Amino acid sequence: MSDRSGAVFDLGYKPYEGTRLGRSGAIRTILKDGVRRVLGIRRKARKKIYPWSMVALAILPAAVFVGLAFTLNAFSPDTESPFGGHAEYIALTGAIVMLFVALAGPELLIPDREEGVLAVYSSRPMTAWDYIAARAGALSAVLAGFFLVPNLLMYFGFAALDSRGLGSALLGNLDDLLNVVLAMIAYIVGYGAPALLVSTYAKRTGVAAGTYLAIMFGSVAFGEAFQQIDFTGARFGTLLSLLQHPEVVRDWVFDKNPTSAPTAAGFEPWTSAVVIGVVAVVTAYLMHRRYRSEL
Amino acid sequence: MTDTAISARQLGHAYGDVIALHHLDLEVPPGRIGLVGANGAGKTTLIKILLGILEPTVGSVGVLGVDPATDLIKVRDRIGYMPEGDCLPLGQSAADFVSYAAEMAGIPPREARQRASDILTMVGLHEERFRYLGDFSTGMKQRTMLAQAIVHDPEIVFLDEPTAGLDPAGREEMLELISRLGGFGINVLVSSHVLPDIEKTCDWVVMLDGGQVLRNGPLSGLTETNVVEIEVVDDVAAVVAELTRLGGAVESQGNVLTLTVQDRDPFIMARDALATTGAPLRRLGARSTTLEDIFLGEAPHDE
Repeated sequence: MSDRSGAVFDLGYKPYEGTRLGRSGAIRTILKDGVRRVLGIRRKARKKIYPWSMVALAILPAAVFVGLAFTLNAFSPDTESPFGGHAEYIALTGAIVMLFVALAGPELLIPDREEGVLAVYSSRPMTAWDYIAARAGALSAVLAGFFLVPNLLMYFGFAALDSRGLGSALLGNLDDLLNVVLAMIAYIVGYGAPALLVSTYAKRTGVAAGTYLAIMFGSVAFGEAFQQIDFTGARFGTLLSLLQHPEVVRDWVFDKNPTSAPTAAGFEPWTSAVVIGVVAVVTAYLMHRRYRSEL
Repeated sequence: MTDTAISARQLGHAYGDVIALHHLDLEVPPGRIGLVGANGAGKTTLIKILLGILEPTVGSVGVLGVDPATDLIKVRDRIGYMPEGDCLPLGQSAADFVSYAAEMAGIPPREARQRASDILTMVGLHEERFRYLGDFSTGMKQRTMLAQAIVHDPEIVFLDEPTAGLDPAGREEMLELISRLGGFGINVLVSSHVLPDIEKTCDWVVMLDGGQVLRNGPLSGLTETNVVEIEVVDDVAAVVAELTRLGGAVESQGNVLTLTVQDRDPFIMARDALATTGAPLRRLGARSTTLEDIFLGEAPHDE
């Protein structure tokens, strides 16, 4: 730093001599900005409508389920919940999350590139990996909220009504919470990674969102088509069904009977977990290749 | 503090078969540095290497004594950058974005907001700081870009074509702001192909052409010449003869003589010749050289 002792400074400028948080501070800042961005916080009003509608769709049913259970006073842990359990609720949240991610992924990455903001990041204490990790972390944090908030609401709400008492019910249903977390990870990575990958190359958010949804729904059609085809190795084509892999993992951890194309083609559920992991690794590699030239 | 703001050793960079920088050797002291050259001279490539965005194909660079290829974070901890094109998120307010830029440099949120406000005031955007950047004029955007480049109090800031797209008044204001940065203890590297901008703002110049260094030195040294102009009332022939006898090269056009002298002070020679001949003097002065003269004189040109 230049020696500034004894100098007379311009009234409009003061050197900064306070704390500098360095690389970790930069990563935290980008992560925080990512969360704000996908939720439209500190953005124009129209940027808030879609994400908060999705948040409401994901959380309100759980609040209504728990509220009804309290009102009707009819819930018993000995019988199946009339409103569905965590596995069913995650299926509902998964669909909402996919629609949310279709716009959130592009919103996280495309404006920075297209508006030239990456140039600013390149003069801050961070690397391309830091940027990618912070953006992926922001998306993951918001998506985790989609899964955790309603499921925790149900977990605590139903436990409060449990005839065994709150403490016993919370401990007795701890497995459910672990299963929610495992299924959540599968959904976040399985739906989030393709959205980030598409957004890494697309130039417009609308085009990226459309492409993502086309790929996800198209992948199911491909997967099911391969399931019908009768030739050696055709069953491997069912692994293209990107949309269904998180569902397979969800059914696996909740011990339900999966009905998706990869399972019907004879693949063990762990295969879907591996496919999700491979997609994530490929996404990270391609994103780094793309961003290294600008960061 | 290092004695060298920027250094390069046998620096080369190629985009495929196209050579952008060719074995550059540089030692540039701290201060206000001008990086000049025509479009395609290699200015932006050099800046991107200094930022650590590009890696040299051969050779190495140093920013404040640190090589970005080996210690990227340490370099980026100390720099600011105003790119040539747009770098502003149009859906954010100036205050939010500049504050974000400060936080990204590691300044805690509360201090970042305060600094953003102060710096936006300094660049003349106090009233407009809560407006969305998408509603800003080109001049206001350029000021915001400068604000984000210095909000974290960097030791050196790279400004790539900072006056691009500005009207004459906006350009003057931007140059005035850049000139003031040195007084804040911030070293400045200004890249431009507008040579008068460099002459107004810098005290050191690096001149690039075709990926090679044409000149690298203090601006005063580059623009000072060993050429003087002498206007005499009459006796032109006698003065020319005396100057030639003393070893000067003289060109005459009417009563105006242009004297070029190597290794001696041309003013002393002119004084001696005028004293010897007794010719009445009307005017005597240095013929100033602009960066443009130097560039046009030294850069190879297509026939």
